[in-house]
Amino acid sequence: MDLSRITDFAPLDELESAETHWRQQYRDDIVAAEAENAACEDGIPLKILYGPSDNRSEFLTDIGFPGEFPFTRGLDPTGYRKKLWTISHYAGFGSPRETNALFRRMIEHGGVPPYMALDLPTQLGYDPDHPMAQNEVGLTGTAVASLRDWEIIFDGIDIEKTFVGTVINAPAAVFLAMHVVLAEKQGADLRKIRGNLQNDILKEFTARGNFIFPVEPSLRLVTDTLEYCAEHLPSYWPISVCGGHFPEAGANRVHEVAFAFADAFTYIEHAIARGVDIDAFASNMFFLMKTNHTDFLEEVAKFRVMRKIWAEHLREKYGAKKLETMKCKVLGHSGGSLLTRERPELNIARTTLACLAGVFGGIQLIGLRTMDELFGIPTEKAELIAIGTQHVVAYETALPQVVDPLGGSYCIEALTAEFEAKVLEELDHIARIGGMVKAIESGYVRKAIAADAYETHQAWQTGKKIKVGVNKFHIDEDEPPRRPYEFTPEAQQLQIEAVQQLRRERDNIRVECALDRLRDTAQRPACSDTNLMPPIIEAVRAYATIGEICGVLRSVFGEYAEPTNL
Amino acid sequence: MRPTRKIRVLMGKPGLCGHDRGIVLVVMALRDAGMEVIYSGRHKSPETLVNIAIQEDVDVFGVSILSGGHMPLCRRIVELLKAKGAQDIAFLVGGFIPPEDIPELKAIGVREVFREGSTLEDIAECVEQIAKERVTA
Repeated sequence: MDLSRITDFAPLDELESAETHWRQQYRDDIVAAEAENAACEDGIPLKILYGPSDNRSEFLTDIGFPGEFPFTRGLDPTGYRKKLWTISHYAGFGSPRETNALFRRMIEHGGVPPYMALDLPTQLGYDPDHPMAQNEVGLTGTAVASLRDWEIIFDGIDIEKTFVGTVINAPAAVFLAMHVVLAEKQGADLRKIRGNLQNDILKEFTARGNFIFPVEPSLRLVTDTLEYCAEHLPSYWPISVCGGHFPEAGANRVHEVAFAFADAFTYIEHAIARGVDIDAFASNMFFLMKTNHTDFLEEVAKFRVMRKIWAEHLREKYGAKKLETMKCKVLGHSGGSLLTRERPELNIARTTLACLAGVFGGIQLIGLRTMDELFGIPTEKAELIAIGTQHVVAYETALPQVVDPLGGSYCIEALTAEFEAKVLEELDHIARIGGMVKAIESGYVRKAIAADAYETHQAWQTGKKIKVGVNKFHIDEDEPPRRPYEFTPEAQQLQIEAVQQLRRERDNIRVECALDRLRDTAQRPACSDTNLMPPIIEAVRAYATIGEICGVLRSVFGEYAEPTNL
Repeated sequence: MRPTRKIRVLMGKPGLCGHDRGIVLVVMALRDAGMEVIYSGRHKSPETLVNIAIQEDVDVFGVSILSGGHMPLCRRIVELLKAKGAQDIAFLVGGFIPPEDIPELKAIGVREVFREGSTLEDIAECVEQIAKERVTA
């Protein structure tokens, strides 16, 4: 690498001989310090000092400039000066009616509704009166059983003007269908509808756990939504690929990124095989990752690596033509699994550092967990601290004024190159064992995550890894009160009665016909002509319930049996 | 005398909660401690889990619940164990359990409750102790 071409620094050989001289001079100290190996959790070593000889990257082609391929230094030439990262937060709520009141309040105050959390029966395709739904209705989010609930949630809200984010995966196609039918009823222009489905089913099999159907039919449903949105809803984001669930389940950072990319590339390959143009959908994909304070420097490098790998794969492997398609958009949330119940105020320090890692990494959205999350539903005060922490970073540090401020650092560039190599190596390994679907079905991904989690847990228990307040610097304190989700039998009963009333009132012959058509289509091989979106939309329009629609698909596709060979 | 056999354990995820980092760690730790451990996988009904526990002739049956639904789920499981004459299988629960719920859980017949701070060593030791008592009983 010819550094003199782009900098005024001394030539490389001069710097290298100076470094050698420095190492000679402090030899004994350095040898003593190196006696204990320092490494990131995933094994990438941390050296005492990085110098020019550590940088194997070609500055112009590998790192380059922000806003230019491969976007290592950032997606936009002027970074956060043009647009600050989005400061995100979480909110929870109960029935469709209460959700509607909350959404209206937020819109009146000039805000946008938060991502909608749904209860577990909804996420697993069960109606509130199904035996498996017992005691779970409305517990972790809103219960949505049919289009009628969707209509209640958006009563008086113009969905052409409102971004609607929904944390839904296995039955995501049904939610897309509900939104399409609601848009039609409101007379909205489908091409302008904005919103997002999580729709990342592959990480449900390996980390989050809310799966219904086996892998291949699940991928068919994802492909159907991607194809449908590419044609009818160009402003809608049909999928967010989640890497962040892997570290929450215990995975190390290389696995977080490699598994997220392996999932994303699987979706892309299915959509391309279906005949969908890469530039018609991939720019509407984005990544939901963790931004964590541990192995801080590697976390910064991670986000730079993600942009580079994504841009190169999209252009070289998948034939993207538009620059927008090659831009890796990353939403980062700090991880709850790194917070502690002991000395919980220190969680503010942890999330502040997590926020900094995201800012140095140049990502598009940051959300911080509250200091009291481990005790249940956050208090309002803790929510305001989490948002205020981001305001301090954004408005008091001047960090947003400089794009990629750590770029060019010997250490960051060396870690960027090493992290990239590790991720590519893992992606190669997955390809060699037959691709991500095989890696999931064989239990490979689950085993890898479990092994990482076990290793980390042992390191915490032996004190090899330090958790302040837990295995070091512990202080005896009383725990703050807990605020668990409260299950209310009355609220569950109301949802059960509502869905039973719906089944009495609707045109049941129309529902049966729509479900028959859905069954027929699902039984035929997957292709554009058997895209399941049109029959699902017809069933939703007839007020078939989520349990009925998923029930038909369960009867055709079966259910996923997860590998338990850990 | 009954021939010595490995301690047999069923670890189960009842209900719809998908969080299984904790239970997977416990499965691995119990195996490392030399026990025979069956993991049910997620989304299992109390009926399914109790049937597995009986068919597999386990000494100890543990579940992990983080959704907040531990009271009704544990009640149902204990009822089923009794109804099928399998109340001699020691039933344990772990997860996001508020301390104030522990007395009630023990009163209905849950043998031991493990909260978030429990170490893998503690759990393994406790399971071993309970299993030994069962063999000698």
